[in-house]
Amino acid sequence: MDQLYLLATLAGTRIAVETGEVEAVVRLTDVSPVPGMGAHIAGLSALRSRVLTIIDVAALIRGQATPVEQRSLAIIANISGHSYGLMVDGVSDICRVPEGALPLRGQLDAAWAPYARALVEHEGHPWLLVSLAAFIEGGALAQAA
Amino acid sequence: MDELLQEFISETQETLEALAGEVVAWEADPSDRDRLDAIFRFFHTVKGSCGFLNLPRFERLSHAAEDVLSEIRAGNRRPDPATVSAVLGIMDRIGELTEAVAIGAALPSENDDFLISALSAQGSEAEPAAVQAAPVGVGRPAAAQSVPRTIRLPLSLIDQLMNGVSDMVLARNELSRKLRERSADPELDNVFERLSTCVADMRDVISKTRMQRVDRLFAAIPRMVRDLGRELGKRIDLSLEGGDVEMDREMVEMVVDPLTHIVRNSIDHGIETPEKRRAAGKPETGRLRLEARQSGNQIVIAIADDGAGIDTARLVDKAIADGRLTPDAAARMSEQDRLDLIFHAGLSTAAKVTAISGRGVGMDVVRANVERIGGVIALDNQPGQGLCITLRVPLTLTIIPGLIVRAGGQHFAIPRAAVVEILHDNNETLHVSEVGGAKIATIRAVRHSMVDLEDVLGMAKPVQQGPRAIMVVRSATGVPFAMGVSAVDNHEELVIRPASPLVMATGVYAGMTLPDNGKPMLLLDAAGLANAARLPNIIDDRAARQQEEQADAQTGVEMVAALRFEELSGERRLLKLSLIERVEDIDANLFGRSGGRAFVRLDGRLVPVANGLSQFDRDKVSALRLRDDRREACYPVAAVLDIVQMPAVPDMVAMHGMLSGVAVIEGEHLEVINPFALFAALPEEAMVERVRGRCLLADSNDGWTREILAPLLRQAGHEVLLGLPGDALVDPDDVVLCTEADAAQAAEIMGCRVVHLRASPRPTGPQDGSIYRYDQDALMAAIAGRRG
Repeated sequence: MDQLYLLATLAGTRIAVETGEVEAVVRLTDVSPVPGMGAHIAGLSALRSRVLTIIDVAALIRGQATPVEQRSLAIIANISGHSYGLMVDGVSDICRVPEGALPLRGQLDAAWAPYARALVEHEGHPWLLVSLAAFIEGGALAQAA
Repeated sequence: MDELLQEFISETQETLEALAGEVVAWEADPSDRDRLDAIFRFFHTVKGSCGFLNLPRFERLSHAAEDVLSEIRAGNRRPDPATVSAVLGIMDRIGELTEAVAIGAALPSENDDFLISALSAQGSEAEPAAVQAAPVGVGRPAAAQSVPRTIRLPLSLIDQLMNGVSDMVLARNELSRKLRERSADPELDNVFERLSTCVADMRDVISKTRMQRVDRLFAAIPRMVRDLGRELGKRIDLSLEGGDVEMDREMVEMVVDPLTHIVRNSIDHGIETPEKRRAAGKPETGRLRLEARQSGNQIVIAIADDGAGIDTARLVDKAIADGRLTPDAAARMSEQDRLDLIFHAGLSTAAKVTAISGRGVGMDVVRANVERIGGVIALDNQPGQGLCITLRVPLTLTIIPGLIVRAGGQHFAIPRAAVVEILHDNNETLHVSEVGGAKIATIRAVRHSMVDLEDVLGMAKPVQQGPRAIMVVRSATGVPFAMGVSAVDNHEELVIRPASPLVMATGVYAGMTLPDNGKPMLLLDAAGLANAARLPNIIDDRAARQQEEQADAQTGVEMVAALRFEELSGERRLLKLSLIERVEDIDANLFGRSGGRAFVRLDGRLVPVANGLSQFDRDKVSALRLRDDRREACYPVAAVLDIVQMPAVPDMVAMHGMLSGVAVIEGEHLEVINPFALFAALPEEAMVERVRGRCLLADSNDGWTREILAPLLRQAGHEVLLGLPGDALVDPDDVVLCTEADAAQAAEIMGCRVVHLRASPRPTGPQDGSIYRYDQDALMAAIAGRRG
């Protein structure tokens, strides 16, 4: 159960992501918008010769696009063969949590429910364990269709 | 163990695929020992491996087949159609079982006993005689050839390699930009050039790893033809050619379906039953010919049969009956237009729906599939004599010629094949009107639905100076429509990669591309745009437009003669013929590079090379010699194709670099070179002629001077003047050559430099500054040096 987690803040909430899902964290530079898409697709961005689809995860949760000047970091992940960049507010740490994932407690906001899997306890705070693939497959695709 | 099993599965599947054709061929020619051996070997291998892997059902099936085949090998039994069918049945079952093992599903539970007993039954009892008479002859031109050594690699590894090389190309491009910004250092340039070549070579090789022989595409055909032929009681002589042509692995996958469909159609609707064929005076056995070849960067696959062809009258009747076409418009249609009706959804000549084709999945789907991968489908219909369908598909899936358009302040790409025409909205042949929110563009009396790209995509339309561009876009299946964009900026070969499913879900994008500037760009899907804009889909009155176009052509699109040629980089382009002085083959080693400019040494002069190339992979290069009123240039090309008539103004004006636009000649989109840009880009010629000056030969009456010295100097590239000109014409750069001392003095008075020649090898004294007249090196050095 000695699992490595990436701790970040997203839409004002503390989240944890299993590092196995994370390829890298990059600072976003140029994002070319994709017109005709919902607010949760921020656009396309090039990472060397790869093209990332940038997901505005906060928009997926709050329904409001993040203003361009507040875009900073994105978690790069490869989900079913495509490269995505998931925008987050900030990244605080990568750490080992000895006790691993704990069951969810309390009443979770409905907006978070499709993505949250468990809790991770670190330095006395609970962090919501989310799955990146769920953002793409559960949230974004469902909204796009 | 898992690895062994994996290996067994992929090997079995591959062999099965290859073998299906072999079995059919063997049936046609039972004496073919090689094929029999190959089939026998397959069962033997399967049997051996499954004993080891503990797959009892495989073992039993292959054992039974092996037994029968070994009897045939021993000559105890004849391979009749029933036996072949039974062997094929066993192969199918093994295929099913393999599939099940591969995906880890439960094995299909059918009983194998029936199959095995079918093997041992003697043919004449099991098969009705009528169908028995329909073997399929498969002609393969080449005999067995030695198989090159291969290894199996996971596709993901190749993709990784490919990505790595793409990264490398991008890094190289950036480096090249950075190098250009700094001062030119020839040494560094050379090294960089070498690196560039390596990277380019590497990219070529890597893309070859994705290639696959067309054989794979053909593998399933003989079996299908045999089965269908038997089912329908038709006799078919199948020939496959060009199986060794290679095309992109993904492309093969994409072409399989359309090809299968065409072959099915051909057997079901094209080739008639033996009775009908006899009645029509044709041989009872129908011929079906599949042929693949490479043509430039395209693969051409032709499917020809000698069946009944397409009954266009019936197509027209059907279209009228469906209310898609007015009898009026039908009367005006050309034969080709009628034939094109077959590509409209839901139209088929099949009188009744059969099990094989005519199930509503028609040629419209085939065309849509072919065009989605950037291909073209063409029909050559000979009613009563047969039909030849030609598929032209790009060599690789990933590179297509595209146009870059600007809309809403953003750039988009659109496949060039989808664009019929581009106009500016101030063009007088165009009229845009609006009614009830709908926009209608009337171009030369033909009305098109019109949309603005910004509106379809929900973008703000920025205010813009100057005219907007209106493109007539034809999607694969729908009718052409007009689309307004801010501007058409550029056209280039685009490397297309799939976009993520999120982006594809909008339906208006077909993929994305990463141009050199590092900003990802989306590729528009013409059919998707029409859908998104909810444009009506009515069969267009093309005949009316054609009449209009003919009238148009008569009244005056000005045509000029142009040379069609192929660039060394492979593109086909046009250049106005009147600029070309002549075409000649030039030794590649005459080309060189200095100070960042390419030049070629021709007749002793340095002529600039218009497209900047100086290194070639061949000894002789075809080159166009160009000339404006005072300068000349050389334009090396891969091949000169022919002379055609092109419109004086390209069909699509898109100024970019050396190109002025695109003209459509015989259905082919060709880029037109802009002569203005071409000559404007040439270096000032001063360095070439001025520096050399003239050589004035004072002793113009002397035979040696005229016959030996003058030709030598001309060969070396000097301009030679016999005799001394009048004072006014002498330039300080000129050099006077003379043998007489008094002439030398006279020349010195005129203010020119003098090279004094003497006839004897030895100087007459220490003060003698003359040069022995056969000492060529000293002579040339003197001419060059004195000019210093």
